[in-house]
Formats: sequence, structure tokens, C-alpha cells
Amino acid sequence: MKRPVQLLRTAVVGGASLAMTLFLTACGGSEDAAGGSGTIHVLVYGDATNKVEKQLVDTFNKTSKVKAVLDTIPGADYQSKLQTIISGKQAPDVFFNWGGGSIKPYVDAGLLMPLDDFVSKDPELKSAFLPSVFNTAVVDGKPYGVPMRGTQPVLLFSNDKVLKDAGVSAPRTWDELLTAVKALKAKGVTPIALGGGDKWPTQMWFQYLYDRVAGPELFQKAVDGDKEVWASEDSRKALGKLKELIDAGAFGSNYDSVKFTDGGSPALLATGKAAFELMGSWEYSTLQDAHPDFVKSDLGYGAFPTVEGGKGDPANIAGNTNNFYSVVKTTKHPEAVAEFLKLMYSDEFVKAQLAVGNLPTTANTPKFLDTAANPAYSTFQYDLVKKAPAFQLSWDQAFPPAATTTIHQAVQQFFNGQMDTDAFIAAMQSLPAA
Amino acid sequence: MRKRPHYLAGFGSVVWLFVVGLPLYVMLVATFQSRADYAANGPLGLPGNLTLDNYVNDLDNGFAQYFLNTVVVTVAVVAIVLVLVPPLAYAIVRGDGKATGRVFRLFLLGLAIPSQAVIVPMFYLINEAGLYDNLLGVILPTAAFAMPVCTLILSGVMRDITPELYEAMTVDGASPRRIFRDLVLPLSKSGLSTIVVFSSLQAWNGFLFPLVLTQSSENKVITMGLYDFQTEHGVDIPGLLAAVVLSMLPILLVYLFARRALVQGLMGVGGK
Amino acid sequence: MTTATAPAVDSVEKPGTRRRPSRTGTGVGRPGFAWAAPAALFFGLFAIVPLALVLVLSFTRWNGLGSPEFAGLENWSKLLDDPVMVKSLWLSLLLTVLGVLVQTPLSILLGVWAAGHQRNRAVLSAIYFVPLLLSITAVSVLWRAVLDPNFGVPSQATWLFGDGNLFGVQAGALGVLVFVSTWQFTPLHTLLYQGAARAIPQVLYQAAQIDGAGRYRQFFHITLPQLRNTVITSTILMVVGGLTTFDTVLILTQGGPGTDTTNSAYYMYQKAFKSFDFGAASAIALLLVLVATLVSLVMVRLSGYDKMRSTMEGV
Repeated sequence: MKRPVQLLRTAVVGGASLAMTLFLTACGGSEDAAGGSGTIHVLVYGDATNKVEKQLVDTFNKTSKVKAVLDTIPGADYQSKLQTIISGKQAPDVFFNWGGGSIKPYVDAGLLMPLDDFVSKDPELKSAFLPSVFNTAVVDGKPYGVPMRGTQPVLLFSNDKVLKDAGVSAPRTWDELLTAVKALKAKGVTPIALGGGDKWPTQMWFQYLYDRVAGPELFQKAVDGDKEVWASEDSRKALGKLKELIDAGAFGSNYDSVKFTDGGSPALLATGKAAFELMGSWEYSTLQDAHPDFVKSDLGYGAFPTVEGGKGDPANIAGNTNNFYSVVKTTKHPEAVAEFLKLMYSDEFVKAQLAVGNLPTTANTPKFLDTAANPAYSTFQYDLVKKAPAFQLSWDQAFPPAATTTIHQAVQQFFNGQMDTDAFIAAMQSLPAA
Repeated sequence: MRKRPHYLAGFGSVVWLFVVGLPLYVMLVATFQSRADYAANGPLGLPGNLTLDNYVNDLDNGFAQYFLNTVVVTVAVVAIVLVLVPPLAYAIVRGDGKATGRVFRLFLLGLAIPSQAVIVPMFYLINEAGLYDNLLGVILPTAAFAMPVCTLILSGVMRDITPELYEAMTVDGASPRRIFRDLVLPLSKSGLSTIVVFSSLQAWNGFLFPLVLTQSSENKVITMGLYDFQTEHGVDIPGLLAAVVLSMLPILLVYLFARRALVQGLMGVGGK
Repeated sequence: MTTATAPAVDSVEKPGTRRRPSRTGTGVGRPGFAWAAPAALFFGLFAIVPLALVLVLSFTRWNGLGSPEFAGLENWSKLLDDPVMVKSLWLSLLLTVLGVLVQTPLSILLGVWAAGHQRNRAVLSAIYFVPLLLSITAVSVLWRAVLDPNFGVPSQATWLFGDGNLFGVQAGALGVLVFVSTWQFTPLHTLLYQGAARAIPQVLYQAAQIDGAGRYRQFFHITLPQLRNTVITSTILMVVGGLTTFDTVLILTQGGPGTDTTNSAYYMYQKAFKSFDFGAASAIALLLVLVATLVSLVMVRLSGYDKMRSTMEGV
């Protein structure tokens, strides 16, 4: 009985001393950290592309007196964490975002620096980028973001072998799509793979149908606060078409248990259990990682079908226009920040992004397209984005973050039948204006 | 005492083994496959080409640093809990004032506070204290939130020490301090080992506090490192699971070695 | 090292050095309040103070940017009219009740079983323990993979799972949540029961055997009653854990389909970190704390746990 007591005593004593040591070192440590001046903090979404951001920060630090420090926030919680720190003393100088509604609340709160001064000193900060992309981060007539990473239009991917077996060709119109769905179903294949568990893949169908049927103006009005447009005839027509597709069994019945993010829906496409998937351009690199043989032999891709009698230009696209760097107003080193942002149209940046599978939207991108992993695919996308009269930003990013939950729930419930057309319209009308 | 084998229990234990084991099998098999093979074989498939790449990559990507940080956090949390909770539990069980009763209620209230409920004020408190992005800023709240359950467990165990034993010692004129040291602590080994296990698990797998209260990669813990396998639109499942296995190994080893002590400790309350 | 830190330990134990704390005089050698003070202080600072701030926030309008504005009872009155809020409370209770009903018998059986000294039991219970070691991120990724409707278990057992749309219907999604929590937390409760079962004096069983009581009668007449205190501890843990279930919902179902698995803890998180309505989120948080406290106090009262009874009584 004696020994355990001794042991315990040692443990308690050791623990206490450790706690105290930690406390003291920690107190000492925090003082040095506070003393760091002459740095700018660059905050980005933490994922595999970080190595490019690290490389650019290193390049910048080679020549700059003010040093850049790269901070990352784990993916899914990026937006939440950003909101907690952006108005406090932990605010970064430069941060990653999606443009549009993702920065609107910060602009309204007066936290961001308009970039017109930067642009007037270096016009290339604007002219080096495709206009449809640059404009996504223009809020109230002023630019607030410089594009970084790449553009991500949503495309209709297909398994060409499955299509061939069912005697179907890639659909160019909505009616062809419906016909294809029937033929594929008869073959016992799920016509369209959908990662409904993630909800945003479901939303992609709404984005394209509204754009094709009503044109980009309807959604723009909705974002600007006109709630009536949701109840318009065009809106009902778009929903009606979608309902028709769902009721035809195009997505099978268990799509809400499938996710894109864990590789479920791309696997359906690659293994031939499904014929189509509507997905962002990143689908290509996802499939390349997980199903390289399929990418080589049977992967097809194309634009979203046109809808007969629709008001939207068939060349319009939807998706994530780009990611952006925005600047926090309180930065102590605006000149250094401007220099840093100039790297976003440098040759080094473009090459590094292409190497990891991203497609930048700078004027010098075409020069390097042949260095991309798949030049044909990158060129197809670049041309698509360049020629598009309108680029519809994903709904959940066009509205402020506060609207995301409602949008995601509504699209899911419309698909699974918990919401009818009127309920969906009501849900969208309840959204706060951007 | 000899017993005949219990067939029903045997059958049940095999069923449960299957339920527990299936996901673990899926995990192990996945970690030894490339992303492409995992996708091709599916989660339940038999592995084809085995590879150690996932583990090697994980170790190359700063996992050692995260690992070290996690060890620091865990050891410190366990230390704080071990210093503060046993005297508290002793006071709750044997104390006579109304005050200790109130303290017990306070901790019962604490059981009901989900950590995400207080995360916003916590962020501001830690930030004001200058502990943001500092491991200590993770350690303190993690320890505080592990305390209610530990208190509940430990006081439950101390409660089972028979009053006669206390009285015997008091008759000898023992001070509370001596009773604590010579009677309560030795007879609470089971509870102490349980709270060590519980608080180290809390610290080891802690998610929300490190997420909100740290930022730089020098202060990343393993649970945050797991996010490195997530991209904006997907997850590298084999890489992630290999990291999970790596992060689990040390605590599993501790468990296996301490198991005898743990289970020994869990029995024999009350001088059996 | 030992010499340097001895004072730290002394300061913890100091109150006890008073030979005879003459408090209310109920007994000699009883520890005074000072024994509880350090822990109470620490806990107060890092848990109760933030909770008090949450109370303040619940009367404000705040999106995390700028400073909170006083909003009076707005958040509270909106909350009581919010159908999702009411539904979320019911879901929290449902998840809790289901959790207790599934986990308690399972962990008692496993605990009593593992308390046996057979070698195979030792090996198996070591394996059973593993789920507790996994972080919730890993647990949910694993179960998502295992339950994938096209490539996982459901595709192999369509007679049981149909089209495998577990996450697309409420019953399925709730079932998965209860199941996965059970999978992960049963080891903890098993461990509690295992320890308690081993502490049951063997004399009781020997006496029962002499009386000719069979295995099942022994279980119901000796083992179960002897485990009473542990059942209470374990149930309180399960109830509170169940009411505040959050991580599993976040990673497995995100409250879906629709709002069908949006329990209060997740709804609060959604309000705070998805909609950035910290005022409303704080009100939900408090409501949740209130409900959980009430439930645990009622349980403590009903069970006589606060009367500090011992299982040894009546032995």
C-alpha cells in the first residue's frame, strides 16, 4: 500500500512542477510574439494548395523588408474563424475569400480597404485579370479583392463508356438530357451522380437552371434585395424543369447519403454506376487522384445544356469565379501589401498554380497553358470563362455567409420532396439581402 | 472458482467484436493503400498493392511537431486535473459545510455546459489574457471542461469508501490531510486511473478549443493536423486515416501497458 | 525537481494541516471548503465566467464584427416562436433517451462480461476499447465510408438497408447518430461497469451458489443491485453527453436531411458560426445549459446521489 502512494505523490509533484514550468515559459513566450513588427500576416484556407502560397510568400520575403507570414485555417471552419478574428487584434493583413457575399459584411462594417489606390498606382492589378472574374470582388462599385488561386466553373462531367453502352451522346439541350436519363435508367444505371449529403452539389443544379431559364438578372435582383423575383413566372418555370428531372429518377433515390467530399459521388461516375455528374472543375483533379485510369480512358466533360426558350445566354457559366485576396483596412504596411498582391499575376504564380491543377485567370495564363497537367482541359476551361457573357457566382457565396444554412436546407428539401415549389420560394424570400 | 463457458456471452462478444472491428479493419486497410487503390477497391474491398507511403508522407508533413504539441497539451491537462480534482472530490464526499455542497452543484452545472456554448466569450478571455495562439490557451479551458466529469467519477469512487474506515482513522486523530494521503488516495486508485484516461482522451482528441484558440502551424495539435488532408472540395481519406492511426498509437500503447494497473485499480474498492 | 516544487503541493494541501478543522462540528478530521477552493476557482474562471458572458450576449444583437448592441428580450422572444428551436429540443431529448436505452444495457453486459478473468475476455476488451481513442473526425469518416450506400455495407445487405439512403431520411439519420455515439462511448461506460463489477464481493456469489441460484438470478439479484451507483454515474454522463451531442451531428449529418437531426447543440453552433447571430446562439446555449442542468439535478435528486450513499450499505 505504501508504494502506490509514493508513486502518486511523485506524479502529483511532477505534474505540478510541469504545469508551473509551462505557465512560466508561456508567459515569457507571449511577450516576444507581441514584439514582432514589420510583418504582414497572410491568412489562407488551409489545404493542399498552401504549398503554392508558401512558395510565393518565400519569393516575396526574398526582396521585401517587411516580411510576410502565412497563416492557415483548417478548411471547413475558415469562414467561421475569420469572422471571429477579423475585427480584433488578431486580424490578418491580407486574407483569402470567395469575393461577392463572402466579403460584403466586412465591407459594410468598414473593415476592408478599397483597392482603387493600389489599382491607380499599378493598373495591372486590375487589367491583368479577366474582367468577369475581377468584378466578382467589386462591392458597391469599388474593388476589394485581387484574384488568387484559380477559376472553378461548374461543368457537366460524364462517363463516356456508360453513355456509349446506353447509346446516348453528350446532351446539348435539356430535352436531350431528359431523353438520356430515360435511356440510362432503362439500362439500370443511375443517370446522374449527386453528392446530396454535402448540399452544395445540389445547389449547382439550381444555379444553372435559373441562369438558363431566367438569365443572370433574376438572381442578381434577388441578391440586391428584390424578394418578388423568387415568385416570378421564370422562377417557377426553372423549379418546374428541375422537378421534372428529379421525378424522372435522374438522381436515383439515395443521393442524400452520398457525398462528394469523401469521394462517394466521383466514385459512382468513375466506376460506371452513374453516367453524369455536375461538378466544379476541381472534379478533374479529384478523379485524377482517385481514378487515374478512368480519366485517361472514359472521362468526358462539357458545358451545361441549353434550355429551349430560356432567357439566359447558353454560354453563361456558374461556379466559383475565383478566390481573392482582400486587404484589412488596419494594415500597417499597405505598400508591402500592394507589392505582395502584384505577385498574383506574375509568371511564377501562374506556373505554380497550373502545376497543382488550378487555373488562374490572368492575361498571361494562355502562355503557360501547355504546361498544365492536362493542357486540353485547361484550355477548354479558360476559353469557356473568357467567352462567358456572365459568370454566376455560387449562390451560397453570392449571398452573405448568414444565408448559407437556409439555402442549403431549401435546395435539399426541394430535392427530397419535403418542400414544394411554394415552400422553396418562401424559404428563399426569407433570406437577408446582401 | 471454475465456471462452465457461457455460450450466449461468447456469441454476443463475437457480434460486438464484429461491430467494433469492421470500421477498424476498414481504417487499417485504407491506410496501406494509395488513394487510387482505395477508390478502386472501395472501403470493404481487399487490399491489392500495399504501401507505406501514407505513413511516410504524414511523418514528413510536420506531424512530429503536432505530435509534440499534443503531448504537451495532454500532459499538462492531466497534471492540472490530477492536482485539482482529488482534493475537490474528497471535500465533496467528506466535507461538511454547505459550501462544498454548492461547489458540487456548480460542477454538476458544469457537466451541462457544452464547450461550444462558451466558445465565443472564451475566445475573448483568452485573447485578452494574451494567450491566443499559445498552447497554454488551449490547456487551461480544456482542463476546466474535463473537470466536471472527472469530479463526478472520482467522487463516485470515494463515496464507496466505507465510513468505518474514516472513523477508524479519525479516532486515531488523523488530520484530513493524512486521511487523504493514507486512506482516500490509495483506495481511489480506480477512480484516479479512470480520470487520467478520461482527461487525457479529452485533451488528445480536443477539437474546438485548438481550432478557435490557435492559429500558427507551430502551435498546431494533431486534431488540427488531420485537417491537412482536407482540400477545399474533398478529403484524402487514406492519408487522413494513416494520420489517425499514428495519432492513436501512443495512447493505445499507454493503454495497453497501463491496462493491468487500470483494471486492477478499478476493482477492490472498499478494501476487498 | 521534487524539492523545487514541494511548496506547490503544500499550498494545495495546506488547509488540511490544521489538525482539527472546527467547522460545524459534525465530525473530526473532515476536509474544509479550502480543499475545494482551488478547483472551484479554476473552474469558475474558465467555465462559469464565460457562461456569464454568454448570458450577457443573449440580450444583444451581434454578428462578431464591431461591438454587441443591446437588444433586450428580442432573442428570447424570437427563440420561443422558432419552430426549429422547439423541434431541436425534442430531437435532443430523443437522442438522449435513445442513447441511454441502447448504451446502458450494452455497457452493463459488456462490463460484467469483461470483469471475468478469462484471457480471451482480456484480449477482446482491449480491442473493444479502441473506438474511444479515435477522434470524432476519424470516427465519422470511417462510418461514412462503411455506411456508403453504393460501396459500403448497405450495398452488400440490401435486404436490411433497402436503397441505403440512411442519411436521407430522418429515422435513418437519427439511427446512425445513436449508433455511432454508442460505438464510440460504450467503451468508457464498459470500463466503469467493469471496475464496479470486479469490486462486488465474491462472498455474495458464493452464498448465492450455495442457495442454488443460477447465473441469471445471480445477475439480477446480486450484480445489478450492486452496480446501482455506477448506473447513476454512467447514466448522468450519458444524459448530459446525449443532450449536448454536437461533433457527431456536425460531421455525420450536418443536421440534415433538412432540419431533421438539428438538435439544440448543433442549432446553436449553426446560429453562431454559420449565421453569425451570436445573440440568438447565446440564448439557445443558455436554454440548453438550463435544460441539461435541470435534468441532471432531477436525476441526482431522484437517485439520492447527493445523499452520498454507499453501495457498501446493506452488505
